Amino acid sequence: MKLSKSIYQITPTIGAFLFIVLFVYTATSKFLDFSNFQTQLGQSPLLTAYADWVSWGIPILELIIAALFIMPKYTLLAFYASYALMVMFTTYIIIILNFSDFIPCSCGGVLEKLSWTDHIVFNIVFIGIAVTGIAIQTRKKTSEKRIG
Amino acid sequence: MKTTTIYRLIGLAIFGITTVVILFLLSEHEVHRNNAFVRRYPHHPITKMFDFDLGYDSYYIAGYSNQELFLGNHTAPLHVIKLNLITKDTTHIRVQIEDKNLPFKSVKIKLFPPYFFVMDGTVPVIFRGTLRDWEAKLWIKNNIYFTKGLPIDSNELFVRSISSKTKESVLGILKVTDTANIVLNNTLLQKQIDGVFDVDGSLLVSSDYQTLGYVYYYRNEFLVIGNNLELLAKQQTIDTVKIARISLSEIDDRGEVKMTSPPLEINKSATLSGEYIFINSKRLGKYEDGEMLNQASIIDLYDWKNKTYKFSFYVYDVDKKKIKEFKVWNDYLIAIIGNSVSVYKLKSSHFELNNTKL
Repeated sequence: MKLSKSIYQITPTIGAFLFIVLFVYTATSKFLDFSNFQTQLGQSPLLTAYADWVSWGIPILELIIAALFIMPKYTLLAFYASYALMVMFTTYIIIILNFSDFIPCSCGGVLEKLSWTDHIVFNIVFIGIAVTGIAIQTRKKTSEKRIG
Repeated sequence: MKTTTIYRLIGLAIFGITTVVILFLLSEHEVHRNNAFVRRYPHHPITKMFDFDLGYDSYYIAGYSNQELFLGNHTAPLHVIKLNLITKDTTHIRVQIEDKNLPFKSVKIKLFPPYFFVMDGTVPVIFRGTLRDWEAKLWIKNNIYFTKGLPIDSNELFVRSISSKTKESVLGILKVTDTANIVLNNTLLQKQIDGVFDVDGSLLVSSDYQTLGYVYYYRNEFLVIGNNLELLAKQQTIDTVKIARISLSEIDDRGEVKMTSPPLEINKSATLSGEYIFINSKRLGKYEDGEMLNQASIIDLYDWKNKTYKFSFYVYDVDKKKIKEFKVWNDYLIAIIGNSVSVYKLKSSHFELNNTKL
């Protein structure tokens, strides 16, 4: 019981940690190779027309979410935001795989080495982490309220 | 899990998916609308006068003066052919140069009548002479290097150089009065990738030498520039490639960067005359027969003053060779194609030919 409770306590922290690592890593690698990232987006069949602001918006958003995770007050919000962002990335991949013959990737860093199926699995795992995080965080909040 | 949380998750998922789908649809719409660029081909806006066989494919256009065309030669850098466009008489000219022992790499001869300039951006020495005696005398010698140059006045060159600060390409004007002076405007060329390869393009000067132009090779854009380096117009061509599609290698141990795959060429050669910009494009628009590209090159005509695309026309291949370079002077369109020079006349029914006579 005690063990499961500590797992229960620690899961959101691990989840948050994983998301911070993921977002900081990908955002940094995008900025480090920004022109390349912008080009890839420009060639993307999905976002060509919006490559300019999407190329700035995505990494900035990733960093903001990572920052939210650090602040305990906003952890739940951060989980929701990461969940939404991962859903969007996954939709993007699915659309690209199904509606385009030209497939660029601009995920940043080693993630670019992943195959598209790996990518989807990877994203779904992270969606799972976000959902778990949200569930536990929500329950914690309500129980805290009850105690308080 | 509480139901509100589940609702929230579903709501967010729907929000995420719809946002991306809408972005996709909007982008598709935009790209397709542009992608469906349709060229207009009026009937015969130009008429061929003649093809003239030069015997070699190493000639380039050096300039024009009074119905006479001057051609330089890449492999015999001091040899010039003068071709009279009315009589078709040719004169072979041997350019005399003061100092032949400089380490020239790609000498070019360019005219600003009655002067001609002998230059090679890799050797910071420029010679100048007159069309009367063809004796090139040392004009400037200093440390100004440039990658491309065109005379725009008797003592001025429009140049593209590499900025010593940013190591990126920059446009400027090199002026020689008592000393050589270079004025650069680093806001004209806009970097997309590395600022050298992606901004590559052709330098243009109008036939009356009053306006300058720059046409990017790898993106759908050109600039029209005043002779004080002020931007007069920035216009998109009918093509849709906004961002250069080139891939570059990492800097190797010799400090060199190379293209790792063939770039997507949007604009090949171009020329500027009055309000017109002529651009040779290899890319096909909608409803265009790809077969045509085996017989001709496409030239698109733009009006930079009115910011419009006017129409397109073909310049036919000669001996299965495509257009390499072309210029428009008055109502002449002159194209170097393989071993030949093709001379066309622009029809006044399609072009407003009120340019100053040369």
